[in-house]
Amino acid sequence: MAHKRSQKIRPVYNGGFYTPLTDDGVAQIHNTSMDVFERVGIKIAYKPVLELWRKAGAEIDEEKMIARIDRNIVAKCVETAPKEITLCGRDSRHDLVLSGTRTYMGTGGTALNILDLYTGERRPTTIRDVAAAARVVDACDDIEFFVITCFPCELQKPVVDVNRFYAAINNTSKHVMGGVYTVDGVRKLARMAELIAGSKDAFKARPFMSMITCIMSPLLLDRDYTALMETACLMGIPLATPCAPMAGSTSPGTLAGTLVQMNVEALAGIVTTQLLNPGHPTLYSVVPTTTDLRTGAFCFGSVEMGMMNAAAAQIARYYNLPIYNTAGPSEAKIPDSQSAYEPAINVLLSAMAGANYIHDAAGLLESGLSIALQTYVIDNDIAGMARRVLAGITVDPDRLAAECIERVGPGGNYLGDDHTTAHMRDEFFYPTLADRKPRMVWESEGKLSTEERARHIAMKYLEDHKPMPIDAVIDSQIRKEFPEMLAETGKIYNE
Amino acid sequence: MKEALYESIAEAVLDGAASQVVSLVNQAVSEGCPAGEILNNALIAGMNEVGVLFKDGEMFVPEVLVSAKSLQAGLEIIRPALGAAGVKSAGKVLAATVEGDLHDIGIKLVGMMLEGAGFEVVNIGVDKSAREIVDKVKELKPDVLGMSAMLTTTMANMKEVIDLLKEESLYDGLPIMIGGAPTSPMYAEKLGCRYSADASEAVIIAKQLTDMA
Repeated sequence: MAHKRSQKIRPVYNGGFYTPLTDDGVAQIHNTSMDVFERVGIKIAYKPVLELWRKAGAEIDEEKMIARIDRNIVAKCVETAPKEITLCGRDSRHDLVLSGTRTYMGTGGTALNILDLYTGERRPTTIRDVAAAARVVDACDDIEFFVITCFPCELQKPVVDVNRFYAAINNTSKHVMGGVYTVDGVRKLARMAELIAGSKDAFKARPFMSMITCIMSPLLLDRDYTALMETACLMGIPLATPCAPMAGSTSPGTLAGTLVQMNVEALAGIVTTQLLNPGHPTLYSVVPTTTDLRTGAFCFGSVEMGMMNAAAAQIARYYNLPIYNTAGPSEAKIPDSQSAYEPAINVLLSAMAGANYIHDAAGLLESGLSIALQTYVIDNDIAGMARRVLAGITVDPDRLAAECIERVGPGGNYLGDDHTTAHMRDEFFYPTLADRKPRMVWESEGKLSTEERARHIAMKYLEDHKPMPIDAVIDSQIRKEFPEMLAETGKIYNE
Repeated sequence: MKEALYESIAEAVLDGAASQVVSLVNQAVSEGCPAGEILNNALIAGMNEVGVLFKDGEMFVPEVLVSAKSLQAGLEIIRPALGAAGVKSAGKVLAATVEGDLHDIGIKLVGMMLEGAGFEVVNIGVDKSAREIVDKVKELKPDVLGMSAMLTTTMANMKEVIDLLKEESLYDGLPIMIGGAPTSPMYAEKLGCRYSADASEAVIIAKQLTDMA
């Protein structure tokens, strides 16, 4: 029937119209970055990868484990990196085709605390919180992928990887990405992915999960993370290799200088993965932030962070590489005005810049140390508004509405005209959370604040939302093959 | 058989398909269905479903209006038969925006929603003085008077209308409803009338007022 909302394929929107850098600015950042590769180099504290860089032609300082590499070698590695990467959902409606200025927004991690949805208490996160966050995000229409948001603090490190990913995958059919903690865990996840997909090739064709292995600022490929990066590469799992320079403390105290260092670090991830496995799907991955130099405090929601992450999208396009960037956390301790206005500005800037995979765009409080499930509901509206901006204003004969204006005429009204009905569902964004009711109705419903309404919606999602299940046969096979998988992994609070 | 036809009419109202409503109602009439049944079991039944979907956020205001229009199209066909059979409309509502106020979208919207619910609505327009409104009350003898104001400065003119109605002994037995941004339940109570926050609530209030009458 006409009034039923259809389950159609989601449209994808393009940004690319906020460009804080000039073309010349991008070129200067590139040239300076190449000078850094050649003169300063990268410290690689993991021997096998250091050797790989040596074989590729890097000049090695053995004692300091620093590799200096010629710009031509960097360019060759950029050449083999995929220019388009498709990260799939278990449900193909959630596939993300990352290239050009196509823009998607999703969550980020990895928080250690949650403001409990029912008690409001701040407590360490558990494996059930991983599942609950995934389920709420699965129900939020405008959050398009799930980066695993929190750490199960009750678990020992060797069993974290399989439990964390499986809790998430069980509760959302959107793409799942997450940080990994052990080499053994990466291998097991590759096996789990194969079981769920049906075969190694089936996973390679439709990778519904991917991994994050970090690069340290300034200019350091550390031993543990680089070993994880190597394993993920060899296992064929798509990668984000983010660096997180903080302007003023772990990178220069200027935006341009931070962008130079960020670019070197992001490209170091591309170089490494391409040397390990040419053609490996690796995102140009960045988390440029700032330091509040009044106090030394880390800033995960500053406006300069928004500008730099937008600039990063321009720089990634200069290399024709799909980008993983960052927008949406804040320093706010609870869901409040700050926890909404900082993300709103940051997410909108990155979206308008055309960043492909905007992570951290929902749920994070307290500089990423905490999550709150109601924050996903709030940030879902922010992402929806940003998507509406990207959809733009379509001008065509039908939408110019000349006939409609003539039909209604002076003093008429447009509410009852067919033209209004024909466009109303696509022309406007209808928020889930925003209050647009008359005061009387708002009062009669208990005078609830935005945060409180969001909390009610999150509770409803946990009660009602049914994510796409994992096949029961595969589930029992996975649980049999991984005895460390907890019985409660995948379940939420009351299950 | 009859029930299936009524259901098709209700579906057509729900879909806002006026021409389909017209042909189906004509078919029902030619098959000898009583006009009262066509009204209540088909047209109004469809509109009631519209009300439910609207409340759930499934249908939007413009769609409700299209459904209301299609109900009206069906109603036109059976109106003479309804009169002959002694079936009354849900009630006659006289609607106006008070003096000094040129806002009309609110009262038009309420009017269309009321028509959709089976009311007969006479909208005399904007900027109407107390004298004009009271004269119309005398002439049309409505079951309900509805008044709208968009400005705090013109809201006070509602009281003038009510005072004049009292002066001319027309106030008792004439339920009055008001609405508009500056008005409130408290203000309505002070004037001795009913308030509704939006067009769908206005329909509920009008039904309550006419049931009491």
